[in-house]
Amino acid sequence: MPDTKALQQERNSIYEDLFNNKIPKRVPINIGLPFEPIAQYGGLDLASAQWNPALVEEAADKICQVLFSDSCPFGGSIRYPSYYQSLESQSFVMGSNGFIQHPEVVGMLPEDYDYLIEKPYDCLLERVLPKQYKALKLDDPFIMAINFAKSIMAYQNDTMQAGMIIAKLKEKYGYYSGADRRSGGFTEAPFDFLADQLRGFREISMDVRRMPEKVAEACEALYPIVLKKGMPSAVDNNAAVFLPLHMPTFMREKDFAKLWWPSFKRMIDEYASMGIHCQLFCEDNWTRYLDYLYELPTDTRLMFEYGDPKLIKEKLGKKHIITGLYPVTMLKTHTKEQCLDKAREMLDVLAPGGKYFFSTDKNPLTIKDIKLENYCAVTEYIRDNGVYSNAGETAGLAFNRDDYKVDPSASRKLESKYYRTWENYKAQNPKVSDLGESKLQGFEEMIFQYLMFLLL
Amino acid sequence: MVDLKEVTQAVGDLDENKLMEILNGFVSENPTEEEALKVVNACQNGMAIVGELFEKEEYFVGDLIFSGELLMEAIKILKPLIGSSSTAKVGSIVLGTAHGDIHDIGKNIFKSMSEAVGFKVYDLGIDQPVSAFVEKIKEVNPNIVGMSGVLTLALESMKETVDEIKRAGLKENVKIIIGGNPVTKEACNFIGADAFTTNAAEGVRICQGWVK
Repeated sequence: MPDTKALQQERNSIYEDLFNNKIPKRVPINIGLPFEPIAQYGGLDLASAQWNPALVEEAADKICQVLFSDSCPFGGSIRYPSYYQSLESQSFVMGSNGFIQHPEVVGMLPEDYDYLIEKPYDCLLERVLPKQYKALKLDDPFIMAINFAKSIMAYQNDTMQAGMIIAKLKEKYGYYSGADRRSGGFTEAPFDFLADQLRGFREISMDVRRMPEKVAEACEALYPIVLKKGMPSAVDNNAAVFLPLHMPTFMREKDFAKLWWPSFKRMIDEYASMGIHCQLFCEDNWTRYLDYLYELPTDTRLMFEYGDPKLIKEKLGKKHIITGLYPVTMLKTHTKEQCLDKAREMLDVLAPGGKYFFSTDKNPLTIKDIKLENYCAVTEYIRDNGVYSNAGETAGLAFNRDDYKVDPSASRKLESKYYRTWENYKAQNPKVSDLGESKLQGFEEMIFQYLMFLLL
Repeated sequence: MVDLKEVTQAVGDLDENKLMEILNGFVSENPTEEEALKVVNACQNGMAIVGELFEKEEYFVGDLIFSGELLMEAIKILKPLIGSSSTAKVGSIVLGTAHGDIHDIGKNIFKSMSEAVGFKVYDLGIDQPVSAFVEKIKEVNPNIVGMSGVLTLALESMKETVDEIKRAGLKENVKIIIGGNPVTKEACNFIGADAFTTNAAEGVRICQGWVK
């Protein structure tokens, strides 16, 4: 299908331009519908479809036929029940409607701070994971090993099934091919990681007032772990490490500046010094933090939920790549004309000068959250009207990795008996051939990634 | 007797050490029940300051959570002095997270703030089916029903709940307020609630307006 190939080339080139400070031919449209609404669209029972991600292929294919997007609108899920249930997760559980959600949980007690600060990775494995995942039974080692093995295999299985569907759809419909798979990543800011599944929202709010020094030290202790969690195994200018940013809008600026921002800023700078970009989901309304965001490395991709698009574009639009802001709830509560007016407003404000791609402020969770007809009309409107007359011109500032220097001695290193480097391994097994490195060290990394994913 | 203004200010400033110092000193002086009730009232006034500072964007959600904890601690210290008598309730609220949604941080903040101003709150918990709201309304005949949700899907659940409250003939006697991240004016109209808010302090003010 030559048309599809041509379309894919066009899509690849508009993203390529977007990420390389050039004005693209038109505004790229990045739609990602989660697994759940797609399963519902196909009339599947959600609670059971999640057990076999391959089932949604037909529904995902149908969505591709009706909803225009430059990236593949089916992205699979990162929360399938097979691996959470086999570990008896407390932090990801299914609601009465089949949706896997993240309740408020406490995985670490105030008295664990000292151990976390002393041996962060050991503390996460020995104390936090067994609290959040009841099948990791410390007193029953074989049961624990079996449960863990089952879970990691389920994770690989389900992720692969969804990945195969995405790959097929990309080819069939000529979606943006995307960057090298190994060049992406997923992690959290050190403070958010601490607040999320370790202390919980409520408890961290107490800690900020009662023991701010411990919180600051804990962020330092967690730094090498969250940095490594997000670290891609290959660098690609079109790829990004994704970080959802949770806590800042719930904090006073004073606490944010002292406890949240410093380790996060250093982390993003450290990635930038290696040529790695980040895509940040600025959850809630970040208006009062826009000046901080400006300080991040050039071409950081910022997805906003709420806020004034005009102010955001004025303050950040020349330096960073902006997306989000289109209120997804409008697609349900407003008429098609009103939805299109909003789309026009987004283009008028955010598109000039480039460094913008279209997406909604958040993904719809269920198919009932949107009128699909409105959604289709909006993305087609953006496709037809988000066209630049000055394609190819320079868009704002250019990224240069040499602008970012991070003193490696400023951060702690990951040291734990639970994570072995190849050098450690060789010292203990002197006869091992280096030919084993890519395999064995690859598994070591995979297990580290999975264990920390369980806490994200 | 302690300086009540100082108590109010310590709560307003979220100064835990100072508040505990004052309260522990107060308790050690064997105060009367009437005096203790005055101190409880001073704490509640402090919560009003917290609410104001929140609306002025000097405090944020983390501070509201901390203020709830502070008030709970204060009440724990004062409770033995108060015995069975308690401050008169200004009204009652049946509260819960709509079905399908298991989030409750916002709901809990609203709960502690409305309790602080004297509401009796019946908290149903998270992921509550339509029937749980209806049954509880029949049982306790509240002034207000509060529904919370973080996920967009909660909007649909809230609508189902309101529809059923109407069908059961219970809407006439209650005001309904909805809260949470996805709630908007349009969503409020669609759901058929009387008011909406994404701000717990504002929500409490709306409820106070209803029971005046």
